[in-house]
Amino acid sequence: MNTFFVLYRKELLEMLRNYKWIWVPLVFILLGAMQPVTTYFLPQILAGAGNMPEGAVIEIPTPQGSEVLAQTLQQYNTLGVLIITLSFMAVISGERNSGTAAMILVKPVSYTTFVLSKWSAMLSLTAVAFTAGYAVSLYYTNILIGDVGAGGFWKSLLIYMIWLLFVGTLTVTSSALLRSPGGAAFTALGATAVLAIATSLFPKAMAWSPGKLTGLAAQSMQTGLWDEKTWMVVLLSFVIVALMIMISVLALRSKPSLDN
Amino acid sequence: MALVQVEQLTKTFGSTRAVDGISFAIGQGRCAALLGPNGAGKTTTIRMLTGLLTPTSGKIQFQELRPGADIRSVIGYLPQIPSFYGWMSGHEFLTLAGRLHGLRGKAAVKRSDELLERVGIAGAGRRKIAGYSGGMKQRLGLAQALVQRPKLLALDEPVSALDPVGRREVLELLRELKHETTVLFSTHVLHDAEELCDDVLIVRDGKIALQGAIGDIRAQHQKPVLLLQTEADEVSKRWLAEWNLRERPYIVDKESAEDRLRLVVSDIDTARSELLEELSRSQVKVRRLEIGHTSLEDLFMKVVTG
Repeated sequence: MNTFFVLYRKELLEMLRNYKWIWVPLVFILLGAMQPVTTYFLPQILAGAGNMPEGAVIEIPTPQGSEVLAQTLQQYNTLGVLIITLSFMAVISGERNSGTAAMILVKPVSYTTFVLSKWSAMLSLTAVAFTAGYAVSLYYTNILIGDVGAGGFWKSLLIYMIWLLFVGTLTVTSSALLRSPGGAAFTALGATAVLAIATSLFPKAMAWSPGKLTGLAAQSMQTGLWDEKTWMVVLLSFVIVALMIMISVLALRSKPSLDN
Repeated sequence: MALVQVEQLTKTFGSTRAVDGISFAIGQGRCAALLGPNGAGKTTTIRMLTGLLTPTSGKIQFQELRPGADIRSVIGYLPQIPSFYGWMSGHEFLTLAGRLHGLRGKAAVKRSDELLERVGIAGAGRRKIAGYSGGMKQRLGLAQALVQRPKLLALDEPVSALDPVGRREVLELLRELKHETTVLFSTHVLHDAEELCDDVLIVRDGKIALQGAIGDIRAQHQKPVLLLQTEADEVSKRWLAEWNLRERPYIVDKESAEDRLRLVVSDIDTARSELLEELSRSQVKVRRLEIGHTSLEDLFMKVVTG
C-alpha cells in the first residue's frame, strides 16, 4: 500500500510538472462554460451575423436548463473524450519505451501497484477536470438560463464520470498493449466510437453496454431517473474496467521493457 | 559461502537461445565479472537475476532471503543505459527509489543526500535530471542501485558508455563499493574485470566458457612466453629460417616473421638455454630477447574466439 501512494504521488507530481493539471481542467471548464453562454447569446449572435433582411424577427425558444447541461455532456462526448485519450495515450508505453518502467520495476514494486498508481492518477485528473467543467456549466446555466435540479445534476455527473473512467481505462490498457502512443490513442478512440455506434444500432443486444452511459447521463439530467437498467450498465462498466486493468497488468508483466 | 546460486539458467527468445544452461555461484563479498563479447548473453543473464525477465528454465537461489521475500529487495541493479524521469531532480529520484524500498519520509531524504555525496554529484542533486551528462546519469544510476544497501549489486556494463575520465571515476567508486557488498558486473573489457574482480565468468554464445578466481585462472592457464627480435640483417634472417625448420619438443605455440619469433613453451629453462647457445654460436644480432608469460588477454581471446 505504501508503494502505491509513493507512485501515485509521483504520477500527480509529474502531471503537475508537465502542466496537465492546468490544461486538462481548463479545456473541460471552457467547454462547460461555452454551452450555456452560446445558448443564451444565440439570438444576438445570429442577429450580429448579418445576411438578415431588415426587420427580421428571430425567436428562438429558450431551452430548459437541464437541456443545456445535457448538451454540455454532448460536447464532452467528442472533445472531452479526445482530450482524455490524448493526455493518457503514453501513460504506460512511454515509461516502457524510455526504460523508466524497468528502473521502477526492479525495485520491490508489484506490477499491479504500478498500473494502479497510473490508473488512479488518470482517474483523479479526469474526475477533477470533468467535475470542475460540469460545475461551471451548471453555474452559468443557473445564471443565464434557469434553475436546474440538483438531483439530476449529481446523478448525471456520476454516470458520466463512469463513462469517462471507462474511456480512460481503455486508453491505459491500449497504452499497455501497444508500443506507439498514437496507436493507443487511435485504438481507444476507435473502440469508443465503435461501442457507441453498436449500442445505438443494436439496442436490444447492447442493453447493458457501457456505450449507454452517455445517453443515460443526459437522460438522468433531464428526468432525474436512476433505474434498474442504469444499475446494470454501471455494474457491467465496472466489471469491464476491472478486466481491462488486469489485462494491462498482464501486458506489462510479460514485457516490462523494450529490449527483451 | 555462495550468496547466489544459479543452476542451468536458460532463456530462449523465439528460436534463439540467448542464455543456454548457465550455472555459477557468486560468493558472499566477492566481486565477479561477467565477461564476454557483445551478444554473449550477459545482459539477459543479469536481467533474469533482477527479476525483469522470467527464465525459460533453470533456478536462481538467493541465500539469506527470507522465504516469500521479494528478490528485488536485496538486489541493486544498474541497467546498461539507465533512464530517469527527466522532470525530476536527482535528489527526488533517489528519494523515490528509497521510498519504494520502504524507507519513510525523512529517512529516504537523508539517504538520498548521503548517496549523492557518495557518488560525487551532490552539487547537481537539486537540478533536473534532463540536464545531466552521461557520466552524471551513470553515477545517479549507481546511487539508486545502492539505496537499500543491497546484498548484491548487479551492474550491466557500468563503464562502457563513459569517456576515459568518467570511466576511471566510476571504476574507483566500484573499487570502494566492493568492500561493502557483493558485486556482479558485466563487461566486454577484460582489463576492467582484471582490475576490479576476484572472479570471472567468461561467457560465449550463452554458455559459460570458463569460470573461476582470476588468480587461479592465471596460474592454470599461464604459460611461459619467449620473445626474440633480431636486427633483420641477412645472417639473422637466414638463421631464423633455418631454426624454424627444426621440430622442438618444448614448443606449444609458435608465431614467426622473418626478423622475429614468439614462442609459447612448456619448459622455459631448456628453451632459454638452447636458444641462447644457438644465438651466440651463429652470431645473430639480437635486438630484444624477452621471457614472459601469456596474459589473460591471450586466454580471453582464445576462449571467446576459439
